[in-house]
Amino acid sequence: MKKIRIGIPYALYFYEYYPLWKEFLTRLGAEVILSKPTNKNILDLGVRSSLSEVCLPVKIFYGHVLSLADQVDYILIPRMVCVEKGAFFCPKIIGLPDMVKSSISTLNSLLVPLVDVRKPYGTWKNSLFQVGQLITDNSLAISRAFSISWENFQKNYVANLLDPKLLNPSLLAKDTKNVAQGLDKMTINININIAVVGHDYLVNDSYINLNLIDKLKKMNVNILTPSMVPPRIVKKQLKKLYKPIFWSLSRKAVGAALYYFENKVEGVIHLTSFECGEDSMVGELIHHQSKQYPEVAYTEFVFDEHTGEAGINTRLEAFLDMVRRKKQYEINFAPSR
Amino acid sequence: MKLTLPRLGNIEVAYETIITDMGHELIEPPPNSKRTLDLGVRYSPEYCCLPLKIVLGNFIEGLELGAEVLLMAGGWGPCRFGYYAQVQRDILIDLGYNFKMLIMELPRGNWKTLWDNINILRNGKKWSYFANQFGLAWQKILLTEKLENKILQVRPREKKKGITSRVFADTIVKIKKAKDREALKQIEREALQQFDEITDFKKKNLIRVALVGEFYVSLEPFVNHHLEEKLGYLGVEVVRKNSIRAWVEPIVNLHLFRENIKDEKEIEQAAYHYLAHSVGGEGQSTVGNVVLAHQEGLDGAIQVIPFTCMPEIVAETILKKVSEDLDFPTLTLTYDEQTGEEGLNTRIEAFIDLLKMRRRKGVMVS
Repeated sequence: MKKIRIGIPYALYFYEYYPLWKEFLTRLGAEVILSKPTNKNILDLGVRSSLSEVCLPVKIFYGHVLSLADQVDYILIPRMVCVEKGAFFCPKIIGLPDMVKSSISTLNSLLVPLVDVRKPYGTWKNSLFQVGQLITDNSLAISRAFSISWENFQKNYVANLLDPKLLNPSLLAKDTKNVAQGLDKMTINININIAVVGHDYLVNDSYINLNLIDKLKKMNVNILTPSMVPPRIVKKQLKKLYKPIFWSLSRKAVGAALYYFENKVEGVIHLTSFECGEDSMVGELIHHQSKQYPEVAYTEFVFDEHTGEAGINTRLEAFLDMVRRKKQYEINFAPSR
Repeated sequence: MKLTLPRLGNIEVAYETIITDMGHELIEPPPNSKRTLDLGVRYSPEYCCLPLKIVLGNFIEGLELGAEVLLMAGGWGPCRFGYYAQVQRDILIDLGYNFKMLIMELPRGNWKTLWDNINILRNGKKWSYFANQFGLAWQKILLTEKLENKILQVRPREKKKGITSRVFADTIVKIKKAKDREALKQIEREALQQFDEITDFKKKNLIRVALVGEFYVSLEPFVNHHLEEKLGYLGVEVVRKNSIRAWVEPIVNLHLFRENIKDEKEIEQAAYHYLAHSVGGEGQSTVGNVVLAHQEGLDGAIQVIPFTCMPEIVAETILKKVSEDLDFPTLTLTYDEQTGEEGLNTRIEAFIDLLKMRRRKGVMVS
């Protein structure tokens, strides 16, 4: 029998939930086709088929859906509403299946399971079950596939968390020693920690963020991301705010930013996309919090479909120069910590 | 205590009843103006939606006049409105103002804050008096909305241009000063009579347009560049789909009177085929209301949204499809601080011409 082919657009929340769906569907014997990483073609497709007022990540999601359209039987677009108490997804993500359906008329069938853990029919298990029943009638197999893939999903999530050594200032201490030994002060390569916070789909999509992560790596920077911060710490950090944040996807970014501020990393870069509603508010909150930590440099990069690489390069270099110079100054003149 | 509140349409008719009569000093923010907008825009995050900026402008102008306490509504998402108060508080603190912010919202778990806030407002007055004043304030808002809906029908039929707005402005002043429900009834009778006098009943079969979209922009004339008035002068009868009543009742009566939410259910049902889940704000009701407007036989719908509004962009995307399916013209007007008056006029006029043309064509064919 021919396998059912299910397409997963590699954008938005799938940066977080793709491993779960992939494993579940493969275990049930479906063929999972992941769209290619974002490229010029996908962006163009997305921009052409969506309204101009829609935010960049959603436009790119459109592009991924269109690029999958003629390769698969079904396209998976879960309606993500709520995965934890007191927090929702952004309105555009909740309405995403309907938006895609009404903008693109030529699509194959969409799979739209509801994920809303407040409701008994919307739990992860039920929503995966709905999709599983399309592939096989054997509910025992579905059940087993669910529990295994759920377990692995949790395990992998923990595996990606922060290695505590990364935040250790020992690297810096070594450099200070070198300085004391009389090495050339100006050429010492000071290892600095830069936290890149923002939605997963901005931090991890190297096409949208114009290879920012690679660029930072080349500049000998130790990169920290929100996914490295354990959920427990995020929760604790968010208590600092006057009012809890009610967007699931932003919670991680804000909690991580506050955590990195508190641990005095050298710099924090907040990635936002043009027209993103969450980021406009959350950016202001992070900015406000950053003022309490004057020793941490903070900047915000906004991306849209017209962002030029040269502009970002200049800003990034200027930001790093500033951070480095500050560090150098501390090593040369300030008493070491 | 010197207290200030944001503006929204004619909602200030109720302010004296619940603030001044409780023994507080009401600092009424100046009417929305270019300056309000400029102040708001200068200090808000760039990509925030317009209502946040205007309300921030209101607060700054109120604080300049000496206000100590800011009263603001809140919510729990997913629309950004729930976070307005928090962000505005942060911005105003950074600007160096000294104030206290009372946020009225249904609490999550912590009912004490709401209780404390209500007690601050009550200011030691008797509960019965407090409840009575709140009831009166609510009646004032209901009456204002009723009359506002009435003038939408009167204005396109008025005998002398501009007279409706003048009569209405007088009525608002009267409502503001009213001290009890009897007075309100008297005002209502008088106003309705005056409206009848200035209406030319010979004008029939006017173009009828539904006004849907974001709550604040559709109700605040300064922000939507007096859209209702403009349409009225073009001889169009506007059917306003948003109201303070429809906004507050489901929140307040949530656990008390279930039947009041019936309207909302109906709208949800109408939208279900196109947008199956609520997306926060007025996203789903915008879609539902357009479908209902089509069923009611209106000629078209105008959706007004602030730039970057999340729920309304979802609705806008879907409205394209609704409009195509039902053969029902819709126009989306996006407002931000740059919106120019003339561009807006042109678009509205063109849209109304289109509606008129469709009517004529329909008559000829049938």
